[in-house]
Amino acid sequence: MGFEKFGRFGYVSQTKINPLLSYLEKGQIAATKCKKCGRTYFPPRADCLDDRHSGIEWVVLDGKSNLVTFTKVFFAPPAFQPETPYLLGLAELSNGLRVFAPISASVDEKQLKPGTELNLKVAKGARDNLFYWLE
Amino acid sequence: MGRVAIIGVGHSKFGKRSDASLRELAFEAYSSALDDADIESSRIDGSVVCSATHYDKQRSPAGVVAEYLGLNPQPTFNIEAACASSAVGLRTAWALVSSKLHDVITVVGVQKMTELSNEEIQELMGRAGDVMWESPFGTTMPAYYAMYATAHMAKYGTTEEQMALVPVKNRKYGSKNPNAMFQKPITIEEVLKSRPVSAPLKLFDCCANADGAACLIIANAEKARKLTDRSVWVAGLGLASSPMSLAGRKGPMTSFEVTKNAAKAAYQMARISPNDVDVAEVHDSFSITEILNYEDLGFAKPGGGTRLLEKGETELGGKIPVNIDGGLISKGHPVGATGASQLFALAKQLRGEAGSTQVDGAKIGLAQNIGGIGMYSAVTILRA
Ligand SMILES: CC(C)(COP(=O)(O)OP(=O)(O)OC[C@H]1O[C@@H](n2cnc3c(N)ncnc32)[C@H](O)[C@@H]1OP(=O)(O)O)[C@@H](O)C(=O)NCCC(=O)NCCS
Ligand SMILES: [Zn+2]
Repeated sequence: MGFEKFGRFGYVSQTKINPLLSYLEKGQIAATKCKKCGRTYFPPRADCLDDRHSGIEWVVLDGKSNLVTFTKVFFAPPAFQPETPYLLGLAELSNGLRVFAPISASVDEKQLKPGTELNLKVAKGARDNLFYWLE
Repeated sequence: MGRVAIIGVGHSKFGKRSDASLRELAFEAYSSALDDADIESSRIDGSVVCSATHYDKQRSPAGVVAEYLGLNPQPTFNIEAACASSAVGLRTAWALVSSKLHDVITVVGVQKMTELSNEEIQELMGRAGDVMWESPFGTTMPAYYAMYATAHMAKYGTTEEQMALVPVKNRKYGSKNPNAMFQKPITIEEVLKSRPVSAPLKLFDCCANADGAACLIIANAEKARKLTDRSVWVAGLGLASSPMSLAGRKGPMTSFEVTKNAAKAAYQMARISPNDVDVAEVHDSFSITEILNYEDLGFAKPGGGTRLLEKGETELGGKIPVNIDGGLISKGHPVGATGASQLFALAKQLRGEAGSTQVDGAKIGLAQNIGGIGMYSAVTILRA
């Protein structure tokens, strides 16, 4: 399987940042870092914006994050209907970068507001798919 | 006066048009635009077809549209910028006629959506977000805009009741627009009671998917003066981009940087300020979008959009009437046709032909059209 294994329902199968999947397998969430200038990217990028350098290394993230905003989806595309309704969030990681991710159903949604502290954790889907979500 | 004029406008009925195909919808709008300009089709030396083609069964629709409108062998091509396709089509046409590469060109915004279910459409719309990092989590357009609504509510105390004022206002004016999909006014209670789509947005906070077409005939100044004395002039064109991914954007998610940038460019080119605008069409894809647009266009301060609604300033008779053709919320949103539909409404206003919704003495009109979840935004300023 290629990168379509990423997500609840992945679309893109071919990419240079495929190694993310092996980190997720190990229960880790990793960002890419430019070997030339040290800039970190999450979601991972294969190519540095600042210097167009394409040599990258992987760095594991601590997952600590603050919620920026969220929604609860009731009307979903066909592939996502088994999970409906579900929560989607945008959060800021401790390194200042942002992540778009589902929010785990175990989170008490009444507690959610911009600023709420959450952790980005690895999640496994029923079809052997892998992703991360906010807990 | 400017270098480029809109010399004719046309519009099909928007909605679930189970009676018409894509090419036939385009014909309705094109034919009425030719009548409006009072010129023959033989005058048109090129067509810019605007459609987000993934919703249409027809691929590369410019081919069939140009054939059906009788516009072969003149140049034709498709422009796609999601919901902002036909605003970008006007920008393209502006460059084509002001460079004198063309004299008179048509911009045809058209979309045939309802052969797909709303679920299928939202799957495609979700993929007009970042398909690697966001769509795999089940994104939809309502979900993306709902996230802006959540943030605006938290930062400024905006309430669902205040957001409901947008559909209530727009549906009131939609009832006077024979081209609109929904022509029945609604109440705040009906909006608040409607079913959740993506919290806090409910059914009546959302525009609906629709079929439809709208058309503009564009000419350079020299040709325009020869052909008509009813020209409306393109005074300002602003277009900007933002990261497509939400994670790539900065700040509290309570405004669209992309619209601020597009507005700045358009105001500068037209040499006007927000206060000079007499009538506006803004992208009310959702109730919250209209409120953010007031703020991003400079009609209100950050967080002040809801005050404008509460004071009736964006009603007919208010300081700056907005979406008094009913907006996307009443008309329906046939993605590629919406930008041209906004410009249709402004042209009617600036020519004093808007009937019962005429803004007295309207001289300057502004249209703002967001593409997708704000990776594109176009601001167009027209003058009588
Ligand atoms: C909100 C939405 C998901 C509802 O779809 P749905 O649940 O399949 O709704 P249905 O087609 O089953 O319609 C049920 C009824 O509600 C009406 N309706 C549907 N959408 C509506 C809307 N947005 N506003 C008002 N009424 C709507 C229908 O006309 C129908 O009325 P009827 O029973 O009198 O015939 C759909 O309208 C939608 O996707 N809107 C957003 C479009 C969008 O995101 N555009 C891009 C913006 S950038
Ligand atoms: Zn670098």
